[in-house]
Formats: sequence, structure tokens, C-alpha cells
Amino acid sequence: MQGIRVEGLVKRFGARTAVEGLSFEVRPGEVFGLLGPNGAGKTTTVRMLTGLLTPTAGSASVCGVSLPLRTDDDGVRLRRQVGLLTEQPGLYDRLTARENLEFFMRLNEVDGGSAWKLASALLERFELKGREDEPVGGFSKGMRQKLAIVRALVHSPEVVFLDEPTSGLDPQSGRVVRDAIAELAKEGRTMVLCSHNLPEVERLCTRVAVIKNTLRTVASLEELRREGLALDVQLEGDAAGYAGALATLPFTVGHLAEGSRLRVMLDREAQAPDVITCLVRAGARVHSAHRAARPLEEAYLELVREEVGS
Amino acid sequence: MSFRLSRALAVYRKDLLDLRKNRGLLWSMAALPLVIVVTPLGVVWAYVKNPNDQGLRAVALYYDLTVDLSNTARFLVDKVLADWFVIYLVMPVFVPILISSHAVAGEKERRTLEPLLASPVTPLELVVGKSLASLVPSVLVSTAAFALLCLGVDVVAWPLAKELVLPNQMWLFGVFVIAPLFAFFGNGVAVLISARVGDSRLAQQLAGLMVLPLVGLAAGQFGGWLRAGTGYYAVIGAVVLLLDLAIVVAARRLFDRERLMSRWG
Repeated sequence: MQGIRVEGLVKRFGARTAVEGLSFEVRPGEVFGLLGPNGAGKTTTVRMLTGLLTPTAGSASVCGVSLPLRTDDDGVRLRRQVGLLTEQPGLYDRLTARENLEFFMRLNEVDGGSAWKLASALLERFELKGREDEPVGGFSKGMRQKLAIVRALVHSPEVVFLDEPTSGLDPQSGRVVRDAIAELAKEGRTMVLCSHNLPEVERLCTRVAVIKNTLRTVASLEELRREGLALDVQLEGDAAGYAGALATLPFTVGHLAEGSRLRVMLDREAQAPDVITCLVRAGARVHSAHRAARPLEEAYLELVREEVGS
Repeated sequence: MSFRLSRALAVYRKDLLDLRKNRGLLWSMAALPLVIVVTPLGVVWAYVKNPNDQGLRAVALYYDLTVDLSNTARFLVDKVLADWFVIYLVMPVFVPILISSHAVAGEKERRTLEPLLASPVTPLELVVGKSLASLVPSVLVSTAAFALLCLGVDVVAWPLAKELVLPNQMWLFGVFVIAPLFAFFGNGVAVLISARVGDSRLAQQLAGLMVLPLVGLAAGQFGGWLRAGTGYYAVIGAVVLLLDLAIVVAARRLFDRERLMSRWG
């Protein structure tokens, strides 16, 4: 099994640069997260890695197939080895679930018998068994997305790309789809999950690349949480009332106030005494202060800071 | 360019299956042949009913001063059928437009294009499969309509003609040589327009404008300025053949995965 290697990938649409200088590796069997805000270039990256778009510069290798693709046959070879779940399920509503799946089996030229056996097992696992002869137009959003997952897997791809799989779903449907992906992750299949849903990424991924048109970082979730420092300060009264005092510090810090707890994000450990002094000067009664692991959300927001304007 | 017939046929079968389940589109497809068959039957019936009507003589003389005045009704039956073929050609142009604009631009509207392009199907296979799914029903519908027209005309005109009026050489040449060229043209235009506009209704409206030259020709024929016949339709067919070749060249340029994704994705 071969994973994915990306080196200096660039995609421009005319004068607009969608992504630039992307380099990362996805190991075989890994569930890798591609994190970034809307418009960060996640979908463009996936489209390049599935051979739908040609990189403007840079190179990549997916399942041993080099990108940019040199021939049509390379494209066919690549697409046989990858599965893609798009943000919208993209199913043919008038056709039944079976007809939708059979169409993609034919396009992938897989043996109908064994592929349908696999499809049946997947339909059963995703609780769609017994519904295969119903038109897809009558399915709920969650069912449609689950069927789209089955479609992405029906030709047994080595790598599966999941582009915003729960975007636009209600919480219940989102959970159903996340559970389905978690099931697949346990099988040791190489998966790339594009998302800006952090709890989803935390639950499913082992490593992530954070992108916002350029690569911000590639790290394991643990490493990402450890990047930077957080100071948890327990105060008397409402912490939000003292948060404003942090603006008087000679350095910039992020903060999060919850009840009487104030979490302050630091660049260096040496800044901690200054923060405490500042709060005390502002009249706060500090009960305790200790170093904390930084939530993924804060690490992520810091990495894509310009986007959220914090 | 890589091409596997099995993948093109998979697209063809899927589109045909989708078409069979699209009742609205099927009704639209059925309405046009019905009009095209029934209208000339009505006209032929009117001529046969009163073959010695003085008005018919005047009409026949308007078209041809050398007409045999003892049989003007038969002259007019042959004349209306020769002229009607240009209206019949609307069908092989318009039916593929109905199907192709729906099948090609519809992929974008239903958001099915990206999963489709992420499969091993090549753009050429996609175009061939979708074109087949539009051309085969179109040719079948046109041929069935022609068979019905022949049957109807021969039944209605028998008291006057005492022989089979249709099929004749011009119609056989038209239905089996010219009509497929027009069907290819209608499909090609619809596919190309769909690839650019990505909205099936707009694609249908724009591609539908392609029938206007046929209406213009019909006006010229019924006005007596153009005289329809095998040679006349052969010249029109040659022009359409050139247009078909231009469409193939344009389609090869337009249909690459990157272009489709950038425009439609």
C-alpha cells in the first residue's frame, strides 16, 4: 500500500491563487485531516489529488501515480485507486440506490458479483440494507451521504477522500455519517478528511495539515495542542470583567473567559507572571493559575488567525 | 485519448434509465412527433376531401404555373409532403436538445458531475455515452414518427392517389441520411452549450434556437420561393455535415476534465 506525498503543490485560477506551496505526506492506513476555513483551498487540493484539476506547479504522488498526470491512462489508474466523497452526495435521484451503485461499478469496471457483495455488506453496515431498490430521491440527507460513502468504496479504493462529509447535515445525520467514517477508519484504510469541524477531526484523525491557501502546519493532534501555551487562571467573580485588562500588556495574548475561569494563550512561559500581575492590578482576586493543554480549536484559530480576525 | 466502450456504454445505459424514469421529459418528447405527424395528415385529408375545389387550383397555380390542372389535389399532396420534411427535421434536432441539455447540464444541477469525473470515465467516453443516450431515442422517435406518417398519409390519401404516396425516395433519403445528421447537430449543439452555461433550461432555450433556420426554410418553401426536393435537402444535409464536423472539433477542445471542473465544479 502506498500513501500520498505532496511537494510544493500550487493551483492558480487566472490571477487568483487557490493554494500555494503545499507539502505533506499521508502514510498508508492513516486518517489524515485537511483542516482550514472556507475558501482555504481544501477542495482544490482534493481535486488536484484525485486528478480532477491539474496543479499549476509542484508535484504529488497518490497510490504510486504521479501528479500532474502524464496520460489519460494514468488518470484512469489513479481514479481506480481513489474514492471520493464530495460535500454534496451527487446521487441520481430518479435511480434506485442499487442502480446508482451499479453505474459506478461499471465505470470502475469491477466484477459485478464481488463488488455487489462488498456493496451489500457496506449497505448493511450503514443501515441501508432493504432500501437498495428505492429511488434515492426519497432518502434523507444522512442516508444519501451514507450511500455516497458506499459509492466511494464500492471499487475498493486504496485511498478515500472525504470532502466536508457532514457539511450541511443536521446534527443527527452528521453523527450517523461520522459514525460511519469512524467504522471505516478502524479498518486501516488510508483516508483524507477535509473539514473545518474540529470535533469531527479530533475524533477521526491522527494527523492534520492546517491550510489557508498556504500550508500553516502539519502535525499530530497532540503536537498541535502542545504548540504554544495556555494559562488557566481561576478568579473570583466573572472572568470576562477582567479580560479587558489584558489589552494593557506590552504583548498580545488571546483569551477565553468562561464563568470565573480565564484561559490566556501565551507565546512564552515567561509571560505568565506579567499576566497574573496585570490581572491583580486590575483588581482581580486570583485563586489559582496553572499551565493547561491548549484546546485544538485555539491552536487552529491561531494558525488561521487572519481569517477570523482575532 | 483513452477510450473504453464499456464505460461509454455505462454512461449511455444510466442516462437512458434516467430518461425512462423522467415522465415530464418523455411527455415533452412525445408531443412534438404527435404534432409533426397529425398536422400534415389534416392538410392531406383536406385536399383529398375536395379534390376539385377551385381554390386548390389557384393554390397549385401559385406554386407551379405548368401544373396539370386535372389533378391539382395530388400535386398539392406531393408538394405539402415535400415541404413538410423540413418541419419533420425539427424533431431530430429538438429531441436530442431536450435530452442532452438535461443529461449534460443536469449533471451540474444535480451536483453529480464531480463524483462522475472522479471515476475512471474519460471526457470522451462521457460525451460518447451521453450523445448515444440522446441520439438513439431521437432516431427511434423520428423513425417511428415517419412510419406513422407513412401509414396515416397512405390511408388518408388512398382514395385520391390509389397508390402509396409515402415512403418516397426523398423521404427515405431524408429520414435515413439527413435526419441523423440533424440529430447529431442538435445533440452536439446542446452538449456544447450545456458545457458552457451549465443550466439545463438555459441550455435548452439556447440550443432550441437552432430550429429557427428550419422554420425560415419552411417559410421560404410555403411562400413558394424555395422548391423542396431530394437535391435541395442533400445541399442542406451537406451544410449540416460540415457543421457536425466543426462540432466534433469544438467538443474535443472543450471537453477536458479540468475545463469541466472549473466551469461546473
